[in-house]
Amino acid sequence: MAYKKICKFCERSVRRIDYKDADTLGRFITDRGKILPRRATGTCARHQRQLGTAIKRARHLALIPYIQGYHS
Amino acid sequence: MRDYEVVYIFKSSLTTEEIEGRLESYNARILAADGSEITAVEHWGKRQLAYPVDRNENGYYVVTQFTASPTVLPDFERVLKLDDDLLRHLVVLSEGELAVPGLMDDEPGPKAADDSGDEDDEDKDEDERED
Repeated sequence: MAYKKICKFCERSVRRIDYKDADTLGRFITDRGKILPRRATGTCARHQRQLGTAIKRARHLALIPYIQGYHS
Repeated sequence: MRDYEVVYIFKSSLTTEEIEGRLESYNARILAADGSEITAVEHWGKRQLAYPVDRNENGYYVVTQFTASPTVLPDFERVLKLDDDLLRHLVVLSEGELAVPGLMDDEPGPKAADDSGDEDDEDKDEDERED
């Protein structure tokens, strides 16, 4: 466990996480659609807070699922 | 005056004219107050929804940015809620320019002097556990 965790958003100097960017948000949810914890992704505290909001907004807009594999 | 962003999801069965007509009537609600302005409109077009909404599998997405006084919002949102052909809508404070999807795939930009203000708690939230 000696790898470095670098926040993906800080790396790219993202100021605001965009809730419309479903492809990016999709990388921070599990295959069931849950928000991945910080310890799994290395996201910093500030960006993790933004990410949570962004994912919830995107779910409301049906850009990403609330539960993956349930509706079918 | 504040900058807002609104995302509409229409039923994909609507024609382009019907959608335009609705957008116009919504915009009229915003523009009813002095000094309001529609600053950007972007049609994403028809997209598959991540889950069915009222049995619809697809929706027509439109993103609009506008500047208006907060007082127009109650009336504006009431109209949105009453429209049965509008599957979903979201009104939020605007966070910048449109056309950002794919943000993460950009080059890691220069560390601009953007870390100003509005965050004072980043240190104490950063409880790194090193074993």
